[in-house]
Order: sequence, then structure tokens, then C-alpha cells
Amino acid sequence: MRKLFIGIVLAVLLASIALLYIISTEKRSLIVTTTTSLYATGLLDELKAKFESKNPGVMVKFIATGTGEALKRASQGGVDLVLVHAPSLEKEYAEKGVIEKNGSIFAYNYFILVGPSADPAGASGKSVIDAFKSIYSAGERGKVLFISRGDRSGTNVREMQIWRMAGLNPKNKSWYIESGSDMVTTLSIANEKQAYTLVDVGTWLFMKDKLGLRVIVDRGDELINIYSVYIVPSGNVRDASAFKEFILSKEGQETINSFKGGGLFFSAIWPVDNTKWLRETWEKWSKIKG
Amino acid sequence: MTPLEIAEISLRSIAISGTASIIAAVISIPLSLFLCLRDFKGKNLILEILNSMVSLPTVVIGLLLYYLLTRTGPLGFLDLMYTPIAMVIGQAILIIPLMTIFMERALDSRKDVVEVAISLGASNSQAAHRLFLDSLPGIISSVLVGFNRAIGELGVALMLGGNIKGFTRVMTTAIALEVSKGEFELGISLGFILVCISLLLTSAISRMARR
Repeated sequence: MRKLFIGIVLAVLLASIALLYIISTEKRSLIVTTTTSLYATGLLDELKAKFESKNPGVMVKFIATGTGEALKRASQGGVDLVLVHAPSLEKEYAEKGVIEKNGSIFAYNYFILVGPSADPAGASGKSVIDAFKSIYSAGERGKVLFISRGDRSGTNVREMQIWRMAGLNPKNKSWYIESGSDMVTTLSIANEKQAYTLVDVGTWLFMKDKLGLRVIVDRGDELINIYSVYIVPSGNVRDASAFKEFILSKEGQETINSFKGGGLFFSAIWPVDNTKWLRETWEKWSKIKG
Repeated sequence: MTPLEIAEISLRSIAISGTASIIAAVISIPLSLFLCLRDFKGKNLILEILNSMVSLPTVVIGLLLYYLLTRTGPLGFLDLMYTPIAMVIGQAILIIPLMTIFMERALDSRKDVVEVAISLGASNSQAAHRLFLDSLPGIISSVLVGFNRAIGELGVALMLGGNIKGFTRVMTTAIALEVSKGEFELGISLGFILVCISLLLTSAISRMARR
């Protein structure tokens, strides 16, 4: 029995080491840290498949986290490319030299403010800044709750920027709850507590059927969500450039635009070149502290 | 998620946590024998420290190793970040205290064997060997406790592996991803599969050990 046991143990050990070794040496790695909102929809896997079929020597590896963590990981090394959506954080890390100075905007969509269908704050139909003001005063009167990601993700940064633009600071208020969790968990908490929260449209579209919440505000410049791609100069620049070029190519942009029938993400350059106003909007947000 | 993907992720979980358990066992066995057989000042303190290390959150171990293994860190030249090998190292470190404590207990409960062996003329190392063989079932179940702790942990796998599809994605990180995608039902199913795998392996190996 002992021989059999040792045999099995050795076989498992050898097989797994062989497996790990084969996988880790087969191809050149391209490590991409990215935001969950892009990854969870499946868009990046589609881009990866198309890119890898053209570049068979490269294996694209995504690490999906919040924007804050994605950039932090890039600053520690071991990352080649980042796909993120928080202009003010991007600017900060570009100035530190962690990511290239001039990233490229490759896609955009919208954030939306969602909340209970009764809308006890009366925020529906207002501009997002006025809606936040209504939520604040209703919160102070103990009528509503607001759930924040509280995790320095792109969505959280935008939410903090909107509070700042409204001239309000909700931190430490009893009606202001920081979930510290990803978007889906945060939406679930908002649903359970019938509270307001800010969400990216991608996550909202695939979650809304499971939730008893509705869209409160979905219009306005304050809600544009801009995704940018940056090469990390300390990483594998050659393959990172190739993947970046692919994302910005007509094929990459078409993939983004038509993903899941369209409406989830919008291309920055194709068929209409939106780069100019997106860049202006990006510049505006990069200056507002989150 | 296709059944093939689930099978692949399950196998990767077993391979990574299995390797980590074997490495941890190779370190914990001599360590626990030493702690059991030698009497010295501070021995209880060491056991207490090991015991409290079991409470260290997995993500903290992941973070500490992150700073060690990252490209700018002291061991960055090994280029191990975001590889299964980094996960193996992290999980091995995670479970060594747990395994050592369980092994020490298993050995301690059989310690009378040592005195008998020595009174019958055995040398110290022969007595230790006898103790080890007599405690083998306890040792093996300690290794299994470690394995189950490793295969069920999330923090190290996420921090050091990064949950890369087809490369460092294991059961626990896949579950976390499905939850973040709102696929709660799939998350529960994967959790159930994980427990089944652990149950199968645990019962198979302990049955073999008992024979």
C-alpha cells in the first residue's frame, strides 16, 4: 500500500510540475490588467481570440480587478498593458511614469444612476448632479440610502467626482454605505436595501433582470465612461504595442461596437471618429479629484 | 462555462494545491518530528506562534509574497508573478503552520513508542523512524487537511495568480469571477464541485492509508 501511495503522490507531483512547466514556457506572455466591467462581459476574450489567431506566438493574459488595483499592480511591475476607465487616476500614474504618457481612448459607454422604483429622493428626470443633491438631502432626512463601491475603481472615482462637483461630501454619513466590493455585489446590496447606486451600463444590462431597481438618471456629460489603453514601459512593450494597435484597428473597433449585438460599448474611432470630444471630456475628468 | 473548462480548472486546482501540499509536507514532517522529540526552551512559544499563524488571512500572505516576487521585488528576477508556481509557493507557505501543528499532535499522541523503542536498544534516529511510521495515518490526514485548506483558499490564488483564464484560474478564483459576473448559481455549482473533488480525494487517500 505504501508503494502505491508514494507512487500516486509522485505521479501527481511530476504530472503537475510538467503541466505547469509546459504552460509557462510555451508562448510569450502579455499580461494585461483590466477593469472587471470590461472583462466580465466577455468582450476582452473576444478581442483576445481574434488577436491571438493573428499573433500565434503571444498569449494574452487578463487580470481583472478594479482600475485602482490594475494601475497599482502595473506600478509594481510584471504588467505589460492596462485597460482602465478613471482619467484622474490614469493621469496620476502617467505622471509617475508607470504607464505611457499618451494612452489611447478605445471605447466609451455610460454610467447610470439606479435606485428604487418609487424614487423616494425624487431624483428621476434631473441632471445627475441635481440627482445626487436630492439623494443627499433625502439621505440627511433618513429617507434613502446610497451604496458606494468605496474601492477606487473607475466607477467609484466617477461617483466621488460627481459628489465633489455637487459640492457635497457624503463620507461617514449614516445613509452612505461603502460596500468595498465589485459592481455586481454592490448592485445586490443596493437591491436588498432598496438604495441608490452608480453603475456602468454593461454591468447594469446583464444584471437588471435580477434586480428590483430602475434607471433614475442615464443622460448627461457627467455620465460618460471612457476606457483607455496604456502600454507599461517597463513591460513587454513589443507585444503590448501589437495588442494596443489591434484594439484600435478597424477590426478591433468593429468588435467593440458590435459586441453582443451592440449598445454595450461604443467604438472611439469607428465608424465615426469620436476621439476629439472624448479626449476633451477625458481631459476634463482627469483634472477633477475623485 | 463548458464542462471541459470546468474539468480543466478542477485539474489545475488539484495540481497546484497538490504540489503545494507535497512541498509543505516535505517541510512540515521534519519540523514536526523535531518539535515533538526535542525538548527545549521556547518550544511552546514556537507552537503558539505556528498556531496563531493559521489565522493569517490568505490575502495577507498573498500580499507579502506579492512584494517579494513582483518584478521590482527582491525575488523579481525569477519572474514568477502571475504563474502557477507563485501560487504553489504561496499555498505551501499558507499551509505549513497548519500541517506542522496537526502533525505534531499526531506524533505526540504516539510518543510512548519512542521510549519503548529506546528501551529495546534502538538509536534516536531509529526511534524517530518508528514514531513516524506509527503515526503515518495521522501524518497523512494532516497533509489532507493542508490540501483542503489550500484548494479552498482564494486570497493567495487571486493575488499571486491573477485568475488568468487557462493559466492560473482555479476553482476558487473562478467562483469569485462568476459571482462578480452575477452568475451566482454557477458559483454555487462550482463550489459544490470543489467540495466533491475534495471529498473524493480525501476519502480515497485516507482509505489507502488505513489499509
